[in-house]
Amino acid sequence: MDASIIIQIALGGILLGGLYAMVAFGLSLIYGVARILNFAHGTLLAVGGVAASAIFTATAWNPLLIMALLVPVLGLFGYVFYDKLLQPLTKRSHFEYTVGSVLVTVGALLILSDVAAWIAGPAPRNIPLRFEAMEFGDVIVSTTQAWILGGIIVFTIVLHFYIKKSWFGRAMRAVTQDHTGATICGVQADRVHALTFAFGSGIVAIAAVLYTMLFPVDPYMGFSLTVKAFTIIILGGIGNLVGALIAGIFLGLAEGFTSFFWATQWAPAISIVLLLVILVIFPQGFGWRKSK
Amino acid sequence: MKYTIGLFALGTAALAATSLITPAHATVGSCTEPVTFGTTISSTGRYSTLADKWRNMTIEFAKMINENGGVNLKGCGKKLPLKIIIYDDQSVPSTAVSLFERMATVDKVDFFVGPDWSAMGFPVPPVAEKHKIPMVMANVAAPPIFKRGLKYMWGTPMPTVPNWSTRYFDMMSKQTPRPKTIYFITQDNPVTKALTGFWSKKAASLGYKVLGNELFSVELKDFTSLVLKLRIRKPDIIYISSFDSPSVPLIQQMRRLKTKAKDVHHALLSGKLHKQVGNDLEGVTGEIPWYPGVKGPYSDFTEELVKRANVDMFEYPWTMSRISAYLIMVQAVERAGTVDREKVRAALFKGTFDSPTGQIEFNENGYAHKNGAFTLQVQNGKPVIVWPPEIATGKFVYPSPSWQ
Repeated sequence: MDASIIIQIALGGILLGGLYAMVAFGLSLIYGVARILNFAHGTLLAVGGVAASAIFTATAWNPLLIMALLVPVLGLFGYVFYDKLLQPLTKRSHFEYTVGSVLVTVGALLILSDVAAWIAGPAPRNIPLRFEAMEFGDVIVSTTQAWILGGIIVFTIVLHFYIKKSWFGRAMRAVTQDHTGATICGVQADRVHALTFAFGSGIVAIAAVLYTMLFPVDPYMGFSLTVKAFTIIILGGIGNLVGALIAGIFLGLAEGFTSFFWATQWAPAISIVLLLVILVIFPQGFGWRKSK
Repeated sequence: MKYTIGLFALGTAALAATSLITPAHATVGSCTEPVTFGTTISSTGRYSTLADKWRNMTIEFAKMINENGGVNLKGCGKKLPLKIIIYDDQSVPSTAVSLFERMATVDKVDFFVGPDWSAMGFPVPPVAEKHKIPMVMANVAAPPIFKRGLKYMWGTPMPTVPNWSTRYFDMMSKQTPRPKTIYFITQDNPVTKALTGFWSKKAASLGYKVLGNELFSVELKDFTSLVLKLRIRKPDIIYISSFDSPSVPLIQQMRRLKTKAKDVHHALLSGKLHKQVGNDLEGVTGEIPWYPGVKGPYSDFTEELVKRANVDMFEYPWTMSRISAYLIMVQAVERAGTVDREKVRAALFKGTFDSPTGQIEFNENGYAHKNGAFTLQVQNGKPVIVWPPEIATGKFVYPSPSWQ
């Protein structure tokens, strides 16, 4: 087997996995802090991607500028979504809260997809930025891919330190670890929940722009991304960004190599297979899972 | 006694009320009510990229038929207006099933036209069978759908699976250097799988070496591994059997990873795909069932219809099948000469009907088994008909320079 083939598949897998991890970051934070399984999370990426593509087509703006526009918009959407639709459920019993939040987020998934398809059309779209490809022997890397890979790495590091060092990051971690204790120490837990929802949604905006630069998005593709993100946070550990990045890359590589060595049709399903296998063999998760 | 009279009065009143609220449709032998067709269109959901202009087109179709007086019923000695009831099946087969059930029981339509897509062609026809309502489906191409012994179902896919790429392979057999190897890439969908199933065997029988057959899920976005397989196997022809949207990342990544082939053939090529991938589609060949300019029965009517509905036949190549389903049902009712479902069924059985593409012939299973297509190639960003030579609008460029 030619090494260039393996390197090419690995590059594709790492890029795809890095993007999956970026989707998982927000979901992981939201679940860690607010204990909400946000089924609309992937759809938010799809809708953000469709919006990014539409803006790019209309204005030809630099994707960084589009990102700067979309982050506050999706962040605000996340805040209002939590504050108006999910926060009232916290007054209900635990069972009603759990079921209610699932219903609200699944409902949001359906409505967001249809509204986006109605406004922008259901066809896949992307940000058709084409830079020259770099060739290293038989390995071809487009400059777009290199930029996105760099962006994912930088973003993960910045996010990691932001959550470690900033007041808001510490507040999020405090609420994750002990909701009551954090409240006693002066953290407004309800506000942190809403802000975390906004923060997670803002991260999705960044992921959406990067994803749309590499792959086409359509309004109906969100749910499969959410499933992958759930797999990643189970493998990587809730609230553990480095773990999520490693798990995401692992998943991306698994998809790439499954497609090459087995059959292409099995690649999207491998995340579910891996999830089941790992849950059976390592019920406590991998070693990098963050303990309380 | 008083009770019996009361019950009788109530029953009579209920019957009268039912007759009042029943929508206008032609009852058997009626020569006063409109002839009513019922259909669903995938106006929203996954398939809506292929069909989102058909609702308006269907309304225009009925208008144009009515502008000519309507449907000619010789049993009545006059023409009756055509009415088409349209619902959005949201691209979901179970929704289509319940809507056809509704049209049979609530709207009480006379005949069914549509739906589209093989995924719906499996569950919907049993509704027609149950209510004994003749149904002419449109873009339902998978042959197994027609081998279930159903007696009220016809389908006019364009092209049909066994005729889909006939002209393409005919064209390739006349090229120099003659291509020798082929690699099939197939979307996981009933019709695209049927297409590959048939044409991979056909290609082998025509002397091609089939180097691979990859099935991919509609969810797949990263095609790196698949493209690398192409790089290793070096096929002369890459035959993509996929609807437009799922193959967008495939085409883009084939270009990004500098895939080479003598010809890349996309069996379901459309202007929608071209809009999405732009120049990446340069040189790609495909099939188109009909385009304005090809003369045949109803061709002037169809040109006017697509103009009024603002439907570009390259962007919506499956439109001809929809229009043909409507035209066939109108002709079948006219042949029967009456709004009688059994007589219309008899007219449809093994019938031959006019369409702009020529004669549409149903076999004993209700399958329009002879529908074919023309071969086109994207040249300088425009679709050019390249085969058969007698109607070609340009010359086939081979080997495709953009894939070298």
